[in-house]
Amino acid sequence: MEEGKESSWEPKIVTFLCNWCSYAGADLAGVSRIQYPPNTRTIRVPCSGRVNPLYILRALQNGADGVLVSGCHPGDCHYLSGNFSARRKFAIFSQLLEHIGIEKGRVQFSWVSAAEANRFAEVISEVTEDVRKLGPAKRMVKKRVE
Amino acid sequence: MENLSKAIKEAARKLFAEGKVDLIIGFEEGSLPLRATPCFARNAQEAEKLIWNSGCNNNLAVYVPQKKGRIGIVAKGCDSRSLVGHLKEKQIERENLVIIGVPCQGMVDRKLLEKKLGNKELLSIEERPEEIVLKGDGFEETVKKIELLPDNCKTCKHKTPVIYDILIGEKVEEEKEADEFEKIKEFEAKTSDERWDYFSDEIKKCIRCYACRNACPLCYCKECCVDSSQPQWFGKSIELSDSQVFHLMRAFHTTGRCVDCGACVRACPMEVDLRFLNKKIEKEVRGLFSFEAGINPDEPPPLATFKPDDPEEFIK
Amino acid sequence: MEEKIISKEELPELLANITRRYQVFAPVNKGDSFAFEEINPEDKISFTCANTKKSVKELFFPQRERLFAFNLHKKDESKVSALSDRKRVIIGVRPCDAKGISIFDDVFNGKDFQDPYYLQKREDTVVIAIGCNAPERTCFCTSTGGSPFSTNGSDVLLVDLGDSFLAQPVTEKGEAFLEQESVTRKADQSQIQLKEKVIEKALSSVKSQIKPEKIKEKLDKNFDDPLWTKVHEKCLGCGVCTFFCPTCHCFDIFDETGGQTGERIRIWDSCMFPLFTLHASGVNPRPTGKERLRQRVMHKFKYFVDNNGKVACSGCGRCIKYCPVNLDIREVLEQIQDQPLER
Repeated sequence: MEEGKESSWEPKIVTFLCNWCSYAGADLAGVSRIQYPPNTRTIRVPCSGRVNPLYILRALQNGADGVLVSGCHPGDCHYLSGNFSARRKFAIFSQLLEHIGIEKGRVQFSWVSAAEANRFAEVISEVTEDVRKLGPAKRMVKKRVE
Repeated sequence: MENLSKAIKEAARKLFAEGKVDLIIGFEEGSLPLRATPCFARNAQEAEKLIWNSGCNNNLAVYVPQKKGRIGIVAKGCDSRSLVGHLKEKQIERENLVIIGVPCQGMVDRKLLEKKLGNKELLSIEERPEEIVLKGDGFEETVKKIELLPDNCKTCKHKTPVIYDILIGEKVEEEKEADEFEKIKEFEAKTSDERWDYFSDEIKKCIRCYACRNACPLCYCKECCVDSSQPQWFGKSIELSDSQVFHLMRAFHTTGRCVDCGACVRACPMEVDLRFLNKKIEKEVRGLFSFEAGINPDEPPPLATFKPDDPEEFIK
Repeated sequence: MEEKIISKEELPELLANITRRYQVFAPVNKGDSFAFEEINPEDKISFTCANTKKSVKELFFPQRERLFAFNLHKKDESKVSALSDRKRVIIGVRPCDAKGISIFDDVFNGKDFQDPYYLQKREDTVVIAIGCNAPERTCFCTSTGGSPFSTNGSDVLLVDLGDSFLAQPVTEKGEAFLEQESVTRKADQSQIQLKEKVIEKALSSVKSQIKPEKIKEKLDKNFDDPLWTKVHEKCLGCGVCTFFCPTCHCFDIFDETGGQTGERIRIWDSCMFPLFTLHASGVNPRPTGKERLRQRVMHKFKYFVDNNGKVACSGCGRCIKYCPVNLDIREVLEQIQDQPLER
């Protein structure tokens, strides 16, 4: 990649935020005018348990440099056990991704509650930095017509 | 082996005579040397075709989901664990299943056999307790059976079926020493670049024939995610990332269900190393949730349950 | 067209010369099987493999082929895939695979439709077949209207005489090619006789008793026979038989888009897959494996015969070797053949 292109690259991070906690937390951050990196593209889901690992793979295939799935803290799930289900699923899935060679830090998970506006901004900053260090995603990206 | 064949025929005859089954699924002579093929016997006469040898490598449990009537099925250790999975997932009622368990010392991997032969065509075999004699035009070679076993048979910890109604032959001593996750641990020690290259090189071989999916007893979805078109989640062509997504999702869908029977690997005509994915998932399920698939039909599947203190170090 | 002789000593140089001017494909040893791959002038080719794992159809009908690409930003520049104009020679094609090419000619270069993607490759390729001195036990080409030395679908047929190859030109293209490559030494009477002996020996080793006319006779009448329920029971419904078959030609066409760009691609499909003949309404006239297996056998041994006068199977035996459950089509055909005609 040319010098110029390299330095102007900004990570594109797809975030799956659960409606009741993380999305609300992101909303609160916005309303409170808390600054955080603008690299995320958010998809609102009813619950972190709704997130099918296939969505994460699709995001990577479509060129996402990073993916974040964020939900309610265990015990606080609006649907009672959705995030417990998610926790088990993603424990396995994150290991599988690392095993096949997807760099550690590209796909991350977090618990952020509706009141944690500052924490949301922190999580986004951290994830963006992690992904920025890893560079543009080259693995799992589907070859498209130029 | 001859005795086992006789005993299976005897058991089948008895089951039909007592009216206990409508159908028995077993093996009969295939059309290639050392190749048994699935047999569907519906009466004592058809049951005379049943045999047992080191070429009985298909997992017959694949024919069970949603099958009507009372079914007798010849099952090796791994097949019996697939059946436990079916019972757990309510694909068949226990009272409709008569399991004819056969303790197994491993089945010959045809691909290893072909590599041994090189270009020579195998015309006939002679099976002995520890060896197989391979015969063809102008050659005869004796090979130790253990050299022809695939990895999953070598490290199998459940040679005797874990569930059965009739046991054919004697229980076999279980393997204690071999580490079934040895190859996976070797991979874990490699760098992420090396693992990515390995994964990509393997998946490049895939021709999307779906033999792996169709041979797997636990892949019984009426509509596979591959065939979804609204939306189409990933492409159907052999473009590398599409094939990678297919294999990752198929492996993930067998989380906590795969018993490492090896049917997928045996069915694959291109020798893709599918166990690279499935075995890793099995290792994590064992480590994180202390769960082994296919042992207890009453134990809930690991992804369908949770504990308040499940591991979550990977979550921010 | 007169038969020529190429001694095995002069073969490597001949091949090296051809490789410098054409894109040459030949069976390459991949370890446990052979595959048709492009070769370099220095590569040694040997014709010791009975057959390649994947058939030669890939070289005329790629598993994934771009038909055209489009870009919504540059509407006037949508690119139809540049049809490659590289001249090719494929050497070492067995007669069963060459028959596959002739079946493809019927489908992709028929009276109603000519497929430009296929045609370009077909016109630019010289097919040099090699006859089978030692057919395998899984071969049954004589039961499908073929033979170990059939010339159907090839431009030149090579016969291995031991110390030399007899080169039989089949088409004008083949004859011209041999001329161009200075293969002009005519085969003498003793060599031609040796060729006849080799062919006779090979023919006698193919033991299949299946007669395609008898099969067709039965297939014309046994659509509703309970035999189909029995034979399909062990079939898994995967696509291995269709993908390895040199004559199978089902395909699907997709638009794969991403944002403002995309491409229309053609990929291999299979009559064994559940989406085969699934209508948009949700109705599927072939809802289970039984109807699909019946369709596969009927297509090859009846429908294609009715429409094109040829059995759409070349008896190569790959489906027998690679089927995960050893569903042997010869056994299916024998059962059909042995059925009494009145039902």
